[in-house]
Amino acid sequence: MEILAQLLASGVAVGMIYAAIAFGYQLTFATSRTLNFGQGEALMLGALVGLTTINFLIGQSLMSFWAYLMMLPVVLAFGAAQGVAVEWLGVRQALRVRSEAGWIVSTIALGIVFRNLAENIWGRDAIKFPSPLSDVALRMGPVRLLPMEIAIVIGALLLMGAVELFNRRSIFGKAVVATSSDRDAAELMGINTRRVVTFSYALSSLSAAFAGVLLAPVTLTGAQMGAVLGLKAFAVAIVGGLSSGFGVIVGGLLLGIAETLTGFYISTGYKDVPGLVLLLLVLSVKPWGLFGKPPVKKV
Amino acid sequence: MRTLGILYFAAFTILGASVAQSEPIKIGVSGPFTGGSSSMGISMRNGVRLAVDEINAAGVLGRQIELVERDDEARNELGVQVAQELINKEDVVAAVGFVNTGVALAAQRFYQDAAIPVITNVATGSMVTHQFDGPSFIFRNSASDTIQTAMIAKEVVERRRIKKPAIFADSTNYGQLGKEDMLDALGRFGVKPVAVEKFNIGDTDMTAQVLRAKEAGAEAIITFGIGPELAQIANAMAKLGWKVPMIGSWSLSMSNFIDAAGANADGAIMPQTFIQSPTTDRRKKFIEAYQKKYSVERIPSPVSAAQGYDSIYLLAAAIKQAKGSDGDKIRLALENLSEKIEGVVTTYDHPFSATDHEAITAGIPVMGIVEKGRVVLAHPEDLSGANAARIKSGN
Repeated sequence: MEILAQLLASGVAVGMIYAAIAFGYQLTFATSRTLNFGQGEALMLGALVGLTTINFLIGQSLMSFWAYLMMLPVVLAFGAAQGVAVEWLGVRQALRVRSEAGWIVSTIALGIVFRNLAENIWGRDAIKFPSPLSDVALRMGPVRLLPMEIAIVIGALLLMGAVELFNRRSIFGKAVVATSSDRDAAELMGINTRRVVTFSYALSSLSAAFAGVLLAPVTLTGAQMGAVLGLKAFAVAIVGGLSSGFGVIVGGLLLGIAETLTGFYISTGYKDVPGLVLLLLVLSVKPWGLFGKPPVKKV
Repeated sequence: MRTLGILYFAAFTILGASVAQSEPIKIGVSGPFTGGSSSMGISMRNGVRLAVDEINAAGVLGRQIELVERDDEARNELGVQVAQELINKEDVVAAVGFVNTGVALAAQRFYQDAAIPVITNVATGSMVTHQFDGPSFIFRNSASDTIQTAMIAKEVVERRRIKKPAIFADSTNYGQLGKEDMLDALGRFGVKPVAVEKFNIGDTDMTAQVLRAKEAGAEAIITFGIGPELAQIANAMAKLGWKVPMIGSWSLSMSNFIDAAGANADGAIMPQTFIQSPTTDRRKKFIEAYQKKYSVERIPSPVSAAQGYDSIYLLAAAIKQAKGSDGDKIRLALENLSEKIEGVVTTYDHPFSATDHEAITAGIPVMGIVEKGRVVLAHPEDLSGANAARIKSGN
């Protein structure tokens, strides 16, 4: 029973990271019906830029906790800029000519370019990210969690909550919602939908970069860290339904818990299997996702 | 007229011979200079470069050694490409290198087929020197897994009286073959592991494996992997508040394990052919030369550096004895090395024979332990007094 509780707790922490990345996929899909297949690389770049920044700040004799807080705005700004770059380079043209799949290939290509850039700048080795919180695990009953793992859950929820709030309360948020529901109508109402799409890409990469610096202290940071994560988060986005914010959280938790349980009870060699099996199951039974809305065919 | 012709002929032959004499001797060096294994690869390459510089001061048979270096990134398929390039394009006379067992096993056949001798100076998979029958061109001066697993089993069962170990091995050739050797070695002591866990290169979350070992009641974790993953095992143990001794193959001395695990690495024990400690004059000179040339205080992988250095000295002596660059003659020279070579790891006196291509035997490696970020001697009596110069048993 103790073991189960520990596995569930670890699974939740991992799952929230998947949810945060999948959330990024959703943001761009909502406004432009396109995805950034280099989302994993956006996470990786955020983590590496964060690493350089925090090491610089610690070199200036700051405590790692304050260095981490000061590093956050830098990483968020970088994430937003990277998102804008992806949109401008890979997506904008494809949207303009209404290409069916051009943006798929260009975002994948950009992901590869970013990964190679990172390998050249930061090297190919895995590096340890200084943790802002204590490295000693907290005991909560039978479960041991690192303070950073709790921070991951809180951080991811805060991010998604903040975006939701923004969508509902601010005027620009309303423009985003309008573009998501009907792009042509929004355009006709005077909303600059192109700017909305650029903004959603910036927000998407920003959330990936934030997820990157949340995850980095509990794992090893390196140019390869985004590849597998991006793929699994894509599965989560499909499973949760590309239109439901709640869906990605459930999907992320499902995947995270399934992985840790499989790793323990079945075999660690099969850890990556549940995500793909889940994806196959959902696609065959409910292709629009567990919480998505089935597209209505008008005849 | 005839005398003039003979004179011209003689002049050309001498000219031709001297031109050939001053041609450099090309030796290939291949290893992982980037990636998770790079601390071993780079240290090995630096040791090799140091030895070449020292030897080139006098030269070999009046010629200079020229190194041709290639990065195999610890990937088997790249190792194959590198071997083919070194043999066919660069025309190397001999080669040293191979840090990863999988790469060695994949690429060695090209050297064997081309009759070019190779001294594997870091890879430890037991199969490496037994891949080919008949005259084999593969030699080794690192401590094979057969020896290491015997030492690990002795430390675990005899010294610490642990009857319930767990084995953690990665999914590469190195990890899985090493695990088999370890099961055999433990079996000879009548001990069976309570848990055998696997992980992939690049895995960061070891919670499930550590939990399973904990549930099975393991009293020690025996490891076969490389730096980054080993660090995550140590970190997972610390996070779960379960600290048992980590005893494993020599890769527990890798600097990227020690750095990524921080304080959690302390207490890890592993066999080492070389500890960065000036226990003999030769070792002192080597350490100081390395530190000076590469501007470091701590050698990232002291074992790789020392074995890389020694492998070049062994090869140079064999080339001298073979009086040329013929692969078969160099192989025979290695198998019947007449010159006694005072290396850093040990003094080599007939290290190889027609049937034995392993320079390192059971008496040579010692146990090292990680203490405050450095690898030091686990049992000080191993290197004190007469024991300091470890010699191949049977000599």
